[in-house]
Amino acid sequence: MAVALFVLAGFLLVEENIHRAVAGWGTKMQIFAYLDGNLAADAAKPLLIRVAAYPEIETVRFVSQNEAWESFKKSLGSQSGVLDGLSAEALPASFEIALKPSARDPASSAEVVRRLRAERGIAQVDYPQEWTEKLDLLLRSIESAKWVFGGVLLIAAFFIVGNAAKLAIAARRDEIEIMQLVGAPPGSIRFPFVIEGLVQGLVGAALALLFLAVLFHLASAALADAFGMFNMSQMRFLEAGMAAMLVLLGCSIGAAGSFFALRRRM
Amino acid sequence: MSKPQKLEIVLQPPLLYVKPIWSFSVSDSLMIQLCAVSKVYPPTYQALSDVNLSIDPREFVFLIGPSGAGKTTLLRLLYRAEDASAGDITVNGRNVGRLSSRGVAALRREIGLVFQDFKLLPTMSAVENVALAAEVAGRSARDSCKRAQELLDQFGLGAKCRLKPPALSGGEQQIVAIARALVNDPVLVLADEPTASLDAEAAGETMRLFARMTDRGITVVIASHDGGFSERLPCRTAFLENGRLLDVTNLAKEAAL
Repeated sequence: MAVALFVLAGFLLVEENIHRAVAGWGTKMQIFAYLDGNLAADAAKPLLIRVAAYPEIETVRFVSQNEAWESFKKSLGSQSGVLDGLSAEALPASFEIALKPSARDPASSAEVVRRLRAERGIAQVDYPQEWTEKLDLLLRSIESAKWVFGGVLLIAAFFIVGNAAKLAIAARRDEIEIMQLVGAPPGSIRFPFVIEGLVQGLVGAALALLFLAVLFHLASAALADAFGMFNMSQMRFLEAGMAAMLVLLGCSIGAAGSFFALRRRM
Repeated sequence: MSKPQKLEIVLQPPLLYVKPIWSFSVSDSLMIQLCAVSKVYPPTYQALSDVNLSIDPREFVFLIGPSGAGKTTLLRLLYRAEDASAGDITVNGRNVGRLSSRGVAALRREIGLVFQDFKLLPTMSAVENVALAAEVAGRSARDSCKRAQELLDQFGLGAKCRLKPPALSGGEQQIVAIARALVNDPVLVLADEPTASLDAEAAGETMRLFARMTDRGITVVIASHDGGFSERLPCRTAFLENGRLLDVTNLAKEAAL
């Protein structure tokens, strides 16, 4: 029981943290709309207002040619000398667009890009389409895997407790038989076993969470080294609500496993 | 207050005291009634065949027959440890076959059961074993213990009531089992080979206890392969063989005639 709940809790912990990390990447994903070089300086502002009014868009930032130039130079660092002889006009002004979380799926992103491309004054639109699609696929896979793994592990835990109850029944078969012979109501015979299952679930869940917490703290440093791309400061242990839900789940599975195992044998 | 009369038309010679299936009776006045009861164990073993038997309140009845005759099966049907394959069984006014699991438990609280292997909990003392049945019936722990102690005192086991079954002799364990059967003032006591594992003296003492139960208004049904006691005690005897009820006699009544 403790092992099954440990695996389940561990899976939820990993899933929650991956979800958080991936969601973090999503916020950094932007659409770049490069303005037409012939666009008059005063025409950029109405265009910015119009684009900012798209329902899918969270923020739009105007990057002027000079700002783009400085940024580019900065990114080249010591190699920036190669730009000598060129001017800021070599780079176009652009809009850096961040989408709302609800519009970060591939379909919504593609729709926004289509409308931006149709805008007069926008020469080119770049956005990480492949990344958006992969990110979406990854998130969906994690979501599905959670239910598949979670479901399988819950069923396994249910049967583990049921088997434990069967063993308990076998060990106390004489006692149960005598209780039945003297006329004990079925409920009063089952009750101690159901409580036993419930306590097993409670202890199992508590042990699982305890071991997982210890493992999480020991492993988080190692994970930070191994997966530098994740922002490890965002890694969190299971939230209190989730932990409470696991304890409740353990108790429920324990009690239900015992109850149904007994029902078939009494 | 007069005893309620049983309305009954018996179409058999009264000497044999058989109540056949075509007799009409108000089953409320009978403690036990079996009508055309059969029991088949899969695939085809016929443990009981078309058994008809009626037992009045306060009767003392022996079920006699060789091993495999169906005595234990018949008792198990009476306290619904098993279901009959056919026929109707009424115990103390309840149709046993129609009882829910709660109903079965309630029926068993009205019945005292005694077994050859005593069925006592080895981890509990004699008094706790007896009190357990009283607690199950709803008495408080204190009342149950008091009642158990009184019964064990009556049966001469008061001094050993704190001992656990393994520390008691076979006869003493059977007395504890009988005390447990009586702790809830049952209307019926069913005993399956209660003397089979006892020596002659303990067996005699045990049978005397059963015989005295009818004075308390209890109906007693004992299954035994040994017909010796049935000849010495005032009882009715039902003979079973190969699952068939061959005969029902009242030896005391026959002797009087």
